[in-house]
Amino acid sequence: MTADEAADLIEAIAIRQDRTAFAALFRYYAPRVKSFVIRGGCDAESAQEVAQETLIMVWRKAATFDRQRAAAATWIYTIARNKRIDQLRRSDKPAIDTEDWLTVFAPEDEDADRSVLAGQTYARMKDLMEGLPPDQIAVIRKAFFEDKTHTAIATEMGLPLGTVKSRIRLALGRLRQALEKEDEEKR
Amino acid sequence: MSGHPAPDELLLDYAVGALPEGPALAVAAHVALDPASRRMVDALAAAGGALLDGEAATSLEERTLDDVLGRLDKVPVEPGPQRNLRPVGPDWAPLPLRPYLSQGASWKRVFGGFEEIRIGLQSDTHRVSLLRLQPGQGLPVHRHVAAEYTVVLQGGYSDGRGSYSVGDFALGSGETEHEPVADPGEPCIALIVLEEPIVLTGRWGRWINPLLRRGWI
Repeated sequence: MTADEAADLIEAIAIRQDRTAFAALFRYYAPRVKSFVIRGGCDAESAQEVAQETLIMVWRKAATFDRQRAAAATWIYTIARNKRIDQLRRSDKPAIDTEDWLTVFAPEDEDADRSVLAGQTYARMKDLMEGLPPDQIAVIRKAFFEDKTHTAIATEMGLPLGTVKSRIRLALGRLRQALEKEDEEKR
Repeated sequence: MSGHPAPDELLLDYAVGALPEGPALAVAAHVALDPASRRMVDALAAAGGALLDGEAATSLEERTLDDVLGRLDKVPVEPGPQRNLRPVGPDWAPLPLRPYLSQGASWKRVFGGFEEIRIGLQSDTHRVSLLRLQPGQGLPVHRHVAAEYTVVLQGGYSDGRGSYSVGDFALGSGETEHEPVADPGEPCIALIVLEEPIVLTGRWGRWINPLLRRGWI
């Protein structure tokens, strides 16, 4: 499913509560959210629940989705992330939802050519993630999907903490470079 | 772009939801004020989206979709974002901070002559305050036992490490000792998130530290 197709489906849900659009989105994303949550150490049953809750939240919040601010996958990722945290009942975790960042928190004056930007950023990040060397992607995936501290990742992978930190730093460096490249192209 | 952004690793922890409430609030306030950091957080969320999209699909039981479709009628649908509706709160408070200030918080003068608003979190792992210093006013020299996150919300301050202005993020850790002084101009307002009480190292320290440790002041 392309980013545009997914965004069209979310908008169809927002505008006319389109159940066919919802079903299509569900068939694509629910199994992926389930995989994502299983990676975090959840059992299949809880992961299924998180996937369901995530897609119900997509239905509920469809009107707040703004394709100019975030790609559909990005938005669904942040919802799934919050749902997984709820599921783990970590009471020390933030009540601050990053999905709000993608909708209401961004200041108005930044909106110029934002539509191009959100799509470009997503496409660039997708290329970047697909092109990361295996050792970096393994660490980054753990950071994203398992919500683990660097120390926990190091212990689990049997790596020295310094190695985990430097792999994360390398991956973040590539991400920064990609953003800078984007800025240059805009000029 | 501010001169002192939050480190990328911390922005990553924020974007993936790995930070406890206190530090998450500090990063959220910084990100609200710093376009470059906001861009990085957006990019990190996009990377999360890309990873999600690239996941192999785990099979779901066939009836799962039917179950969910059956539940949708009872799900209240939220209206679209009302961007012009700004939550109430003082001008200097970035949006993520405003819900925490809703119970009519007011400045209280504390020892050392500066003013403070204490912010209550849902969790009590961190001590969160807003400090207000008049121009030229300093905090007593102190060191940190653990991490301290500072975000400047109005005015600015300087210490041995540099000058910090609106949106800047400072991460104090461990044994570093510093003595911040508010810059001339407007009063300096900063959000401070502490993992552990600070230790005063000046001449009043031995009297005040026990009170700080107990959270009395």
